[in-house]
Amino acid sequence: MHISDGVLPISVTIGGYAASAALAAWSARRTHSEELPKLAVVTAAFFVASLIHVPFGPTSVHLIIPGLTGALLGPSAFLSIGLGLMLQSLLFQFGGLTALGANTLMMGLPALACGWFFQKFKGNARSRQIAIGGVAGAAGTMLAAVILAALLATGGEDFFGVAKIALAAHVPVIIIEGAVSAFTIGFLARVKPALLQPAFAHLTKRDHG
Amino acid sequence: MADVIHIQIPAWQLPLLILIPPLILGFLVAWLRHLARSRSAPGEEPDWSVPPLEADSKTSPLHHWDVRCKIVTILVYSFLVAALTRLTPVLVAVGLSFMVLLIAKASLSRVLMRLLAIVGFISMFLVVMPFTVPVHDGDKVFVINQIAWLGFNVRGLLLAATIAGKAVAITLLMEPLLATAPLPMTLQGLSRLGVPEMIGQMLLLSYRYLNVFRHEARRMSSGMQVRGFRKRTNMATLKAVANFLGMLFVRSFERTERVFDAMRARGYKGRFPESAEPHVQARDLIWACVWLVAGVMLVTYDRLVF
Amino acid sequence: MHELPHTISPPAMASPTTSQLISARRLSYCYADGTEALSDINLDIAAGDRIALVGQNGSGKTTLIKQLCGLLLPSTGEVHYKNELLIERHLEQSRLEIGLLFQDPDDQLFGHTLLDDAAFGPRNQGLSREAALQAARMALQQVFLEDKIYKAPHHLSFGQKKRAALAGLLAMQPSVLLLDEPTANLDPRQEQVFLDLLKGFSGTLICVSHDLIFLYELCHRAVVLEKGRVEHDYTMDDLVSQRDELRSHGLDFSFRLVVGNTTGRPLHTGPVCATVEDTDTSPSGAQPGSQLTVEMHHYDFRYPDGTHALRGIDISIPRGDRIAMVGENGAGKTTLLSCLLGLQHGRGSYLFEGETVSRRKRKHLWRRVGMVFQDSADQLFCPSVEEEIAFGLEQIGLSKSDIRQRITDVLTMVHLEGFEERVPLHMSGGERKRLALACVLAMKPKLLILDEPTAGLDPHGEELLLNILHDLDVTLLLVSHDIFFVKALTCRTLVMHQGLILEDISTEAFIQDPRLGNLNGLSYAFRRNGSDAIRTLQHEHEHSHPHRHLHAHPHRHGETEHEHLHVHAHEHPHRFAHSHPGEAQEHDHQPRRFHEHDHPDHDKDPDHHP
Repeated sequence: MHISDGVLPISVTIGGYAASAALAAWSARRTHSEELPKLAVVTAAFFVASLIHVPFGPTSVHLIIPGLTGALLGPSAFLSIGLGLMLQSLLFQFGGLTALGANTLMMGLPALACGWFFQKFKGNARSRQIAIGGVAGAAGTMLAAVILAALLATGGEDFFGVAKIALAAHVPVIIIEGAVSAFTIGFLARVKPALLQPAFAHLTKRDHG
Repeated sequence: MADVIHIQIPAWQLPLLILIPPLILGFLVAWLRHLARSRSAPGEEPDWSVPPLEADSKTSPLHHWDVRCKIVTILVYSFLVAALTRLTPVLVAVGLSFMVLLIAKASLSRVLMRLLAIVGFISMFLVVMPFTVPVHDGDKVFVINQIAWLGFNVRGLLLAATIAGKAVAITLLMEPLLATAPLPMTLQGLSRLGVPEMIGQMLLLSYRYLNVFRHEARRMSSGMQVRGFRKRTNMATLKAVANFLGMLFVRSFERTERVFDAMRARGYKGRFPESAEPHVQARDLIWACVWLVAGVMLVTYDRLVF
Repeated sequence: MHELPHTISPPAMASPTTSQLISARRLSYCYADGTEALSDINLDIAAGDRIALVGQNGSGKTTLIKQLCGLLLPSTGEVHYKNELLIERHLEQSRLEIGLLFQDPDDQLFGHTLLDDAAFGPRNQGLSREAALQAARMALQQVFLEDKIYKAPHHLSFGQKKRAALAGLLAMQPSVLLLDEPTANLDPRQEQVFLDLLKGFSGTLICVSHDLIFLYELCHRAVVLEKGRVEHDYTMDDLVSQRDELRSHGLDFSFRLVVGNTTGRPLHTGPVCATVEDTDTSPSGAQPGSQLTVEMHHYDFRYPDGTHALRGIDISIPRGDRIAMVGENGAGKTTLLSCLLGLQHGRGSYLFEGETVSRRKRKHLWRRVGMVFQDSADQLFCPSVEEEIAFGLEQIGLSKSDIRQRITDVLTMVHLEGFEERVPLHMSGGERKRLALACVLAMKPKLLILDEPTAGLDPHGEELLLNILHDLDVTLLLVSHDIFFVKALTCRTLVMHQGLILEDISTEAFIQDPRLGNLNGLSYAFRRNGSDAIRTLQHEHEHSHPHRHLHAHPHRHGETEHEHLHVHAHEHPHRFAHSHPGEAQEHDHQPRRFHEHDHPDHDKDPDHHP
């Protein structure tokens, strides 16, 4: 769920821009500068992944996968998410020109937290990676929902009701994201474990001519 | 003290009252979506041997406006609109946006699609807020059949409508901002405004490969459909979706390496070649001033008159 | 056993000279996981060389060309370009002179428009923006894309993308072009265009491909890689003329040469086609409905954007028939397939096994129609072979034991016994293709559709696939540009062009009819000519003549008995591969380079030492 324009107080939107710009800059510094194009291409894949809908009873939910993004990209996840949201706001229908900063924070912070968590605790056994991946996936969505609720609540007590509803609406998504993340990590652990290597191995630790 | 108005409605009408508005909304959205889809059918293949901007028969003041001025003006104006707090100036802002839309000769179907994308989020406010905002002095509250905890607060509806209006006013400006210049030029404008040029290049790259991966994803999903896979609410579906995601990531990471190789093979050394410098003219600045003054006036009206 | 030096020595074995453009010395390369991709490669490439780099899938061809342009650095050994070691500044400079064409053009077209993309290289060469755009325009003009220069790459057809990628390299005016599978997935006309473009390139060419007929047209020198080593380095004629050698490297494509030829000795006799009277080839043939697997009448399909993809399609496919569908890229074949599969729904009547396929019923067609996709990666997404095959079977709702049984059966059928636990992603291209086929066959489809099954396979993989398909008992619809596969597997051919079915004729008639080929971009002319030339080269017959050999064997010189090489002449029959201008005419027998023969009566040889 993305926050649209005109919802948040003006101070929060500007604050959100400032904070996410700073974090994106930090994230870019943690990425090998030569390999930023790679991050751009990978971002496209995460973007496509986030377009996938999973049915939930009569309706369907679309994946947000902040946890998975964090687990696979580590610190560069924040920049990747910022880029993805910018792309979405520029080229696709989802607007949010003024809320871009806040939206990036909402997705990016959980990604960073879950990425750190996954790399810290994943261990070497596949079953453990699956479990930790599932926790990271669920926690990522939960954190995103909490941040969304908190951002909405900055509008004053008039917004508390909406914030609560938004939080509640994320409960099924949290379960689905947890399961999908666990299975995806399990798939990658079997098929291409190199992608699960410490945060940046595939984006920085490569010497090339 | 809040102004409480009691309404008595026969019990059998209650479900209707609850069901009808979402149904109408649903049908409206579906109809508009259909409209937008059918309108998006491109007729003749444009001539790709000339830059698309010149090939486009549509030209407007916005097309000729310096891209930097355009970005700054629309961004600042959007923030000004976002800062509005009352319904009347918001409605004026929506009217202004429509005017700009007409001047820019933007494609109606794309504008519709953008509006439809925010419908879900905005309708949540419209549905939830009238029932959840705390009751203040002077609020008008409708209570149906003595169900006091479900009072319909008119102030909540107005607040939600204000938010919806702001969202619409800003969303309407996205097309005039983005569709009146080719994307690379808009991004160049951003980089001239101090956004690192790398960001623009990365956006272009992402956009390019987004299309590649979308085709890939589509082929993969038909590969699954051909073998009888249908999404359902169960674990097997989640597992299949996870495999799909995993495969998407594996393929994209592999492609990433190849793309990076291809870039290096053609001399990429960590920087993209610089692009051309646009020129600002006085006319561009006048436009910017006029527009921004309108924005400031709106905010003043919003804050002072009431 | 050796032969005398009256044989021609392979050209590249000559000592390295300073005139070489690129030279690799004792080049070895290991992947990060320790597997050796290349070992001890010595290669000299002179300016103007046109080299075909061939070998089985996984023999290290792509790794080698990445070494030659410095994208990978050798683990040991060195690569020189213009007599300088390919590192650091010289490497950066060299990359601007060496162009590398990737197999998938999408990897290479990263620009927003074709013009942007083609200008990327020249800009990196230090040209001004205007000059770079000019160079890009010229290059795009060279590849006949001048009317699309502002178009985004993802709106182009595959063949156009491939040419655009080439333009990106030509804009840099490279002195060396490295090509990785330049013709994979191209339709014959695009292939011809590509061949002409490459023939017109004046610099050095190194081309990796499985398509030996294409290579034969383009290159004059052949380097055979096997398991990361240079196995042979000789002329193209030598490569194609020696079938035994080709076979031992898994490269024997000769089974392809039987097309349009009645005198050759085909490895495959082709499908058992019904006689003309039995096969009612007219589309509106009034056969009983139950006998037809597929029947379509006046079938139309329009995409939401207005593209009229199919116009009045009439097809009937009798049960057990094997039908080919040919047509240029964009003729509507893919759309027709997705309609047959029930992924899309058009207007007109479509009957499957006599039942009308309605909008609702099309959702159940998957139980009866199976398709092997062009790119196996679109179809394989499970972490193990077993799960992969079980995926579709679970959707049918079979019991666990049935699933297990079918997995075993079908893996045997495609020669992948014991692969249950393997990871599909780690398998070779040929194995993956066969696995995809297994997944479809396990579901026992009534109609099997194959979309370009040979794309990206090496000749060995092709032959295996051909044998499997040949033995299948199923109604088959084959979509292919590969005229050989069409001939080997099908009896009837549908020719598609711009959403229409132009012809519905016997495969034999299609192959004989040059008019059809030229009409819709299916010109097989160069393939036919190439095949003829190669077949002439491969002509073998037995012939005896005296000649001299070097032999090593033990013998005595007075008291001492030892072994050494020595010369002696004798006469014995040889199989010769050589060009043959006609049976009756005079011709020479060039000596063959590498051959072994028994030498039973050696001791009685008059030349023998006492």
